Amino acid sequence: MVAVQYYLLLSAAIFCIGLFGILTRRNALFFLMSVELMLNAANINLVAFSFQYGNLTGQVFSLFITALAAAEVAVGIGIVLVLYRNFGDVDVTKATTLRW
Amino acid sequence: MAGLTLPVLQTAPPISDWVAVAPVLLLGLTALALFVVDSIDPDSSNSAALAGTAAAGTLLALVATLLLLAGGVGQGQGGALRLYGGQLIIDGMALFFTVIFTSVATLVIVASYDYLRDRVYQAEYYMLMLLAATGMALMAAAGSLATVFVSLELASLPSYALVAFMKDNRGSVEAGLKYFLIGALSSAIFAYGISLVYGVTGQLGLEAIAQQLSGGTQLVGVLGVGVLMVAGGFAFKTASVPFHFWAPEAYEGAPAPVSAFLSSASKAAGFVVAFRVFAVAFSPEAVAQSVDWTLAFWLLAAVTMTVGNFAAATQDKVKRMLAYSSVGHAGYVLIGLAALGGGQDGLVLGASMLHLLVYGFMNTGAFLFVALAEYWEVGRTFEDYNGLGQQAPIACVAMSVFMLSLAGIPVGGGFMSKYFILIGAVGTGHFVLAALLLVNSALSLYYYSRVLRALWVEDSDGSVAIEGYPLGLYAAVVGAAIVTFLLLPGVFLASDVATAAASALFA
Repeated sequence: MVAVQYYLLLSAAIFCIGLFGILTRRNALFFLMSVELMLNAANINLVAFSFQYGNLTGQVFSLFITALAAAEVAVGIGIVLVLYRNFGDVDVTKATTLRW
Repeated sequence: MAGLTLPVLQTAPPISDWVAVAPVLLLGLTALALFVVDSIDPDSSNSAALAGTAAAGTLLALVATLLLLAGGVGQGQGGALRLYGGQLIIDGMALFFTVIFTSVATLVIVASYDYLRDRVYQAEYYMLMLLAATGMALMAAAGSLATVFVSLELASLPSYALVAFMKDNRGSVEAGLKYFLIGALSSAIFAYGISLVYGVTGQLGLEAIAQQLSGGTQLVGVLGVGVLMVAGGFAFKTASVPFHFWAPEAYEGAPAPVSAFLSSASKAAGFVVAFRVFAVAFSPEAVAQSVDWTLAFWLLAAVTMTVGNFAAATQDKVKRMLAYSSVGHAGYVLIGLAALGGGQDGLVLGASMLHLLVYGFMNTGAFLFVALAEYWEVGRTFEDYNGLGQQAPIACVAMSVFMLSLAGIPVGGGFMSKYFILIGAVGTGHFVLAALLLVNSALSLYYYSRVLRALWVEDSDGSVAIEGYPLGLYAAVVGAAIVTFLLLPGVFLASDVATAAASALFA
């Protein structure tokens, strides 16, 4: 059996990769993928700790997060679509009508 | 606190679960009813029927909540109703905040009737707003981190779509994009924070977490990071530093009624969840040996109110000024969390709840006045509002009430609620926060009075002619102004309810 700390290390690494992607990528679709990575890092934690404690609370909650991540992407893709229609690009730094 | 006392039954009669969650069910069912109407007749242009259905739903939910509140359901020490294995908690605080959400939603829906004239997808608009209100009402009642996360997403996802509702308008789309990007990021951080807290305690229920933590923990580091990440999720929802960047963009670009809804109801929803999670799960006694989060909220409160007010003072667009002032008000409310553990928990938290109630009306009203100005197409800057007082005196008197009340001048409830927060801060020994509150309120008077000067003192350059006095917008603005004004004497009644509801958390 793999000790729980290694799962925590794995999830922390995935979370940081996702965060790095959000901070550096300018393409809105890559942004969505990075958020997905971060949410799945949380899922890894929940499943690993759920296994360690022997209760199913964490596993069930990770299913909730998966479902909500899908819903979030659905809304996100819609917004990226209207972004493309209005600005002709999916670059998140191109949208500067409002002052930052 | 002195004043009138609401007659609260000591032993509320047993009621079924369905009755206790009636406000949430009413909101959700109205959203589904609109969905059915829209699928039967997708091209309906009968906006009066759509807005009427939506407003009837929120009004019914408001009445149901007030009845539950007056009937003493779930109130008093240890009287909270735990439904579905403790996943939902119906108590005084949940009902108090549901009153805020349903009243704000009603005002905004009534105002939207005029704002949305000649637009398509009206049924979807009202449906999304009702779904967001359902999510907020659930947030107020959430009893475990799982329900907190699900209801927070239920409130957030429709809001993203609402901000980007005018999909041919570049400002609206850009606002929706930025709101979504920061929202998605913060919900990922929030989920990771929850997973760390679960890792330390093995529980997701708020009371179960508190029980685990009170026994002490070896994993202080992991817990600390988890608590900070959870706090970050709330900072986004309440538009507090460091996740406040979306607020000015989203509020400025969004349709003005949506800005009103987000800046009042959505902010209150973020705060009610933060109050419950930090007062129950990470209660100051439970985490006394491990994570002192009150210091984090002390810093957040100080920085948030200062940043919000200074940024608001430099704006030249009214809507953007209101957006930054809403960041500043989030800072005032955060004092309630920063002052926890000081021996007067019920009082300080009650003061924050009271401010959110008053803020719900005065800020919604102010944004709806901006909606009225957008309806007249008079422009967005302070100068564009010049001389409106002569052309639309009733709406401008209402706007003056909002501005003065927001600044803390006693023509509306804003004075009393700020005063209670000040008493709470001084009473718990947070003199620096109290001083910052006073300085920032004085500064806010400067930029709020700029609106008053434009409305009443300056003369119009004659280029703007107001066409029409839209009934729905007027009703919402005037209604909000009347409630704001009535809350000045009524604040004692509300403050008793708020303080009792907050004290029950610490039983």
